[in-house]
Amino acid sequence: MDAETRRRQLVAGIARVGRGDRAALRLVYSETSAKLFGICLRILGDRSEAEDVLQEVYLTVWRKAASFDEAIASPMTWLVAIARNRSVDRLRSLGSRQRDAPIEAADDVADEAPTAVDRLEMDEQQARLNDCFQELEERQSAAIRSAFLGGLTYEELAQRSKVPLGTMKSWIRRGLLKLRACLER
Amino acid sequence: MSDEDSIDTGDRGDLAAEYVLGVLPVEERRLAELRLTSEPRFAAEVAFWERCLGGLAEEIPAVAPPSHIWEGIEDRLSASLRPAAERAGVWQSLAFWRTFAISSAALAAASIVGLIYLTQIPSLEPPLLARLDEQSGQPGFLAAANPADGSVTVVPAALLTREQQRSYELWVIPPGGKPHSLGLVDPAQPVKVMVPPELLPQVTADSTLAISLEPQGGSPTGQPTGPVIANGKLASL
Repeated sequence: MDAETRRRQLVAGIARVGRGDRAALRLVYSETSAKLFGICLRILGDRSEAEDVLQEVYLTVWRKAASFDEAIASPMTWLVAIARNRSVDRLRSLGSRQRDAPIEAADDVADEAPTAVDRLEMDEQQARLNDCFQELEERQSAAIRSAFLGGLTYEELAQRSKVPLGTMKSWIRRGLLKLRACLER
Repeated sequence: MSDEDSIDTGDRGDLAAEYVLGVLPVEERRLAELRLTSEPRFAAEVAFWERCLGGLAEEIPAVAPPSHIWEGIEDRLSASLRPAAERAGVWQSLAFWRTFAISSAALAAASIVGLIYLTQIPSLEPPLLARLDEQSGQPGFLAAANPADGSVTVVPAALLTREQQRSYELWVIPPGGKPHSLGLVDPAQPVKVMVPPELLPQVTADSTLAISLEPQGGSPTGQPTGPVIANGKLASL
């Protein structure tokens, strides 16, 4: 199935979920849960937390499907945002219990994944994003990536990189400014 | 200290980008979510960054979840769709409120009129009312603050999916201020909470009421830690 067909099926599936169709939720789940579980695992670094959050993610999809707007976001963008937001929220509510875990722990978990990586559909913006990341300083791009992939706060990122909080904020904020300028070109 | 270190602290970050990136501490995250529901321009900014940065998720490998996850989702969905178990009289009846409130702003207005009776105001001081909208724009809860007895009554206005193992916490946020907890509410039936006397001055017109999802028993930190599922401003009738 090509990416465009898959995208259209997901859009139709989410629209049906929005009308209260549980079979459609099952369909959306089977198409996307592996990708979203990977994201939850990566951010939370803990299998049982990730499993619980994944359930919340699809309950959120059930609740918010009616407000999904294809004109604003692709279905994968929308789903990835829900998975990340719920994972980051859980990470924050776990508080210090989870924060001591080194970021590598999350990588370990993700490495257990099947090697057949399910490359999710993202529009041409993906290639654009990669190009724009090339324009950033190494430390800016590294900081933005680990913030996104690890769900860490400025403070945690600063501690892990052993730099002052202000420095970390500066790297990320300047990086984001450059990224935006590049993406809008 | 390098030049870079000294500049940034005064620098304003791009809040939408920082929200999407996930680097904000809990309180700022919740404030960003409130803006998300009330400011279309901010929501458009967030959507921009979700499109841009979402591509980074490409590099995260997919991991097939165990099969019991789907069963868990089905169980939680079924539990949320069951009708509320016990009802105490027509004014406390969810079915009654749904009849009035479900999915129509006009009907929501009708149930606001009903709410005034529900709060049984003993004085002439008018109650403050709020419609707490979900992110979809649908009314999620209706709330009436009664200054006469210091109570806030919160009535679910929509069929919400009840989140198992989670509590629904009500917050009051004065304009430009921080959230204060008013206690727990229920997505399946009307709940009357008594506002602590020290918080009564915060419950005024233009204050925002918000409901967030929290660990069972409520937020452990005294500030919202879970997503805000509905919010709206108090106004006098």
